[in-house]
Amino acid sequence: MNTVLSFFRKLGPEMLRRTYEHTFLVFLAMAIAAAIALPLGIYLARTRRRRVVSAVLGAVGVIQTVPSLALISFIVLLFALVALPTIGTLPALVALVLYALLPILRNTYTGIRQVDPSVVEVATGMGMKPIQVLFSVELPLSLPVIMAGIRISTVWTIGIATLCGLIGAGGLGNLILKGLRSIQMDYLVAGTVPAAVLAVTADWLLGRLERWLTPEGIRESHHSREEGE
Amino acid sequence: MIRFDHVSKTYPGGVEAVRDLSLEVPEGETLVLLGTSGSGKTTTMKMVNRLIEPTSGRIMIERTNIMDQDPIGLRRRIGYAIQHIGLFPHMTIAENIAVVPNLLQWSREQIAERVDGLLAMVGLEPEDFRERYPVQLSGGQRQRIGVARALAADPPIVLMDEPFGALDPITREELQNEFLALESEIRKTIIFVTHDVFEAAKMGDRIALLDAGRLQQLATPADLVESPANEFVDQFLGQHRFQLSLLTRRVRSVMPATRAVPARADSRPTLRATDTLIEALDAFKKTAASALPVHDRTGYLGDLTKRHLLTAITEVLGEAGGAP
Repeated sequence: MNTVLSFFRKLGPEMLRRTYEHTFLVFLAMAIAAAIALPLGIYLARTRRRRVVSAVLGAVGVIQTVPSLALISFIVLLFALVALPTIGTLPALVALVLYALLPILRNTYTGIRQVDPSVVEVATGMGMKPIQVLFSVELPLSLPVIMAGIRISTVWTIGIATLCGLIGAGGLGNLILKGLRSIQMDYLVAGTVPAAVLAVTADWLLGRLERWLTPEGIRESHHSREEGE
Repeated sequence: MIRFDHVSKTYPGGVEAVRDLSLEVPEGETLVLLGTSGSGKTTTMKMVNRLIEPTSGRIMIERTNIMDQDPIGLRRRIGYAIQHIGLFPHMTIAENIAVVPNLLQWSREQIAERVDGLLAMVGLEPEDFRERYPVQLSGGQRQRIGVARALAADPPIVLMDEPFGALDPITREELQNEFLALESEIRKTIIFVTHDVFEAAKMGDRIALLDAGRLQQLATPADLVESPANEFVDQFLGQHRFQLSLLTRRVRSVMPATRAVPARADSRPTLRATDTLIEALDAFKKTAASALPVHDRTGYLGDLTKRHLLTAITEVLGEAGGAP
């Protein structure tokens, strides 16, 4: 009991601050990534230019294959070359956004593509404008898939964001690094446990959001309900 | 009125889906586009609301070339019903029916009233169905909603693409009958696509039989059955000829040509002159009477005896070229 108390007395305030930094960084990265990936995914799903589609999805896919530590290092070097700040939030944010793009982009693209073409055709045939088809038919029907992409992406980003401690972007990574350098278990724990809790919480919250946003008629529970005249 | 004027559609890649099609659909007529898959029937229908645009030729609605009209506005004036998947799964039944009225920005009260009216019209209790989702409905109920939705904004023209496909035979027949009854009240110009000859004979005022993008014959169901224009039509009807004759031949045609007299009180079930021979046969199955009175709009035409009906049917069988 005493150890727990002294743990919190020693690390509690920093844990809170780092968790706040971490959350802020992830939130910002996710907002930017979604702002890029959602419109881009919609565009890719609707364009007839197959080459653009495979080029963009391919490029974003390649980013994903670069190990996260290497990606962060590349960005720092790149920033150094063009005389941008190499430490702090900006390079970290860029790396996180690049990582977060793929799941959102891919799921937005697939989500819209998997909407039954005949449903889209009947919407068009009834006189909806393309933008109305998008907002009243395609997006609501692909929402669960898009939200799943955002969830996966968020959970990943929470984990990867710990690496940003390396380049002075703050966050829970700082505590972990401190623990590693000074070989102190309590710092390690103070960085790791909140990161895990954060990931689980974000996953749960986004799951709730997904359920809340998913139109009632396509929720799973309805499908299991008995049909009958 | 809808008029096709030398309309052709060639898809990129060279597939000629529709070749030089000319025909007219007068106001209030139900025209069935009949053919196998690949005959061009669906392409023909989709050209009317510009889901597909003709490569050459003109399609006129009320003397205006549809290519000169805004496609969005055009589509909102044409009802559209397709096979089972057509309902929006994420919308309630009321929302589904209200799609076009919403696009046309009807008032909330007007829409609510229309939705309830249509639900009642297709035989579904508004209170019970308004807030349900398509997955909670049976196939037949969904199909009814599809029809209601196509009629929602009271369009003068309705396009129906196999609207009763993917249903079990009993439900399908039920819906066909309901729709025929409904249609006689609402009087729309309807283009109805099907691959089923019996459905075509039942639903259509006229049938346009298509093959490989070409119109083979345009005729009333009875004419199509009795005088096929070419070998293709003959073969297409093929083994169904006998049944089709019974479906298309009316009681009137086997009655002596007499003037109607004022109807008198009669306890027996009545046949209408416009009933088909099949319907007459069904009527005899349900009664012990050996003759039934036949009425047309003006009055009583005479009695049809069971024996006379059976003789007529035997003749049909002979004309149709042998056993069913």
